[in-house]
Amino acid sequence: MKINIPRQTIFLLGLSTFLLLFVFIFSFGVLIPKGKEYRIQNTEQKKEKKDLRAYQAFNDEKIANINLLRENNKVIISAFDNEFNPIKFKKEYKEYFSRLDISEQITVTAKDEFEIYEVNTTSEINSPKSFYNFLESINKSAWIIKIDFPINFKRYNENITSSFTMKVHKIKKKSKTTEITKVKNELFED
Amino acid sequence: MKYSFITPRKKTALTQELKLVLGFFSMTIFMLIATYLFLVFKEYQFTKNKADIVQKRYELKIAIEDMKQQIGYINNEVALSKEIYNHNSLLKESITNLFDLIPSRITLSEAKLLENGLILYGITPSKDTYNFMLHAPLRSIFHKTYTSFYPAKNGWYRFVSTNYVETVEVKEEEVTEDED
Repeated sequence: MKINIPRQTIFLLGLSTFLLLFVFIFSFGVLIPKGKEYRIQNTEQKKEKKDLRAYQAFNDEKIANINLLRENNKVIISAFDNEFNPIKFKKEYKEYFSRLDISEQITVTAKDEFEIYEVNTTSEINSPKSFYNFLESINKSAWIIKIDFPINFKRYNENITSSFTMKVHKIKKKSKTTEITKVKNELFED
Repeated sequence: MKYSFITPRKKTALTQELKLVLGFFSMTIFMLIATYLFLVFKEYQFTKNKADIVQKRYELKIAIEDMKQQIGYINNEVALSKEIYNHNSLLKESITNLFDLIPSRITLSEAKLLENGLILYGITPSKDTYNFMLHAPLRSIFHKTYTSFYPAKNGWYRFVSTNYVETVEVKEEEVTEDED
């Protein structure tokens, strides 16, 4: 028995088979792997976004902390940033002394992130009470000053001459940037 | 001359069946390619977003590390300032106590406050007055107390009292030990 299939039908069947094969190969060979990759990347990205949000939240928390800390200690922070000014100091504290002489900043030592200037002071006071008042008010000054030994008191006529050392503490500016650069370098190495 | 009663239909390569097959497959292939392009675009977007996220994370990490450093600095500043303020307050208390310690009968001419000691120069009516009224309290505060007396013109005694805490070695030849 001879089956008589028209040429047009054969062409149609061939074309359909070819296109069907293309669809299958494209779907299974390209589209499905791409889809899987998309799914993996999507999951990864969600995780990364979650991490980023956590980082952002931590960053916000740190900003709030640092702002609160700065607000609570703004007097101390500005005192550490202030450059010691002998003229201003004398003007501010002359009420406690009959005479107040300040030597130049002679020694600079470094303790961790702080610089320490040593200033020698000679003065004349009417009574020890003036010196007590001076010691009380020094803690409220525009600088961080430690009154250090040796402290000498000597009777001079009706007055008392006193000499003492003041250690002015100041924050080092350089150390901050050095530390930040160090952190950046560490991160780059990671 | 006509051989048929109907007009012959035009013959074309695009038969109804072929149109149907082509229509079906073109739609299918269009959808597949559209999906593929969508996925390619998304992949590009992911890559771009990932770079952004990495950059932002890096910036945040730097900012956080910077803030940690700053918090450390502020805490150190606060701790140091408190230490200094306490030192100044204690110093004030110490000087107040020192001057309160001096009895009215004894007059000081000079006082040297050292890190680990105290040197007093003054004048006393008698050695006993000094010993009872100043030496005793000084001995209760300092571990080593040495006093030298020099007679003054008016019959009183000038004295030099050297007082140290125990960690300091005092050269004996510099001071004469008090005769108890």
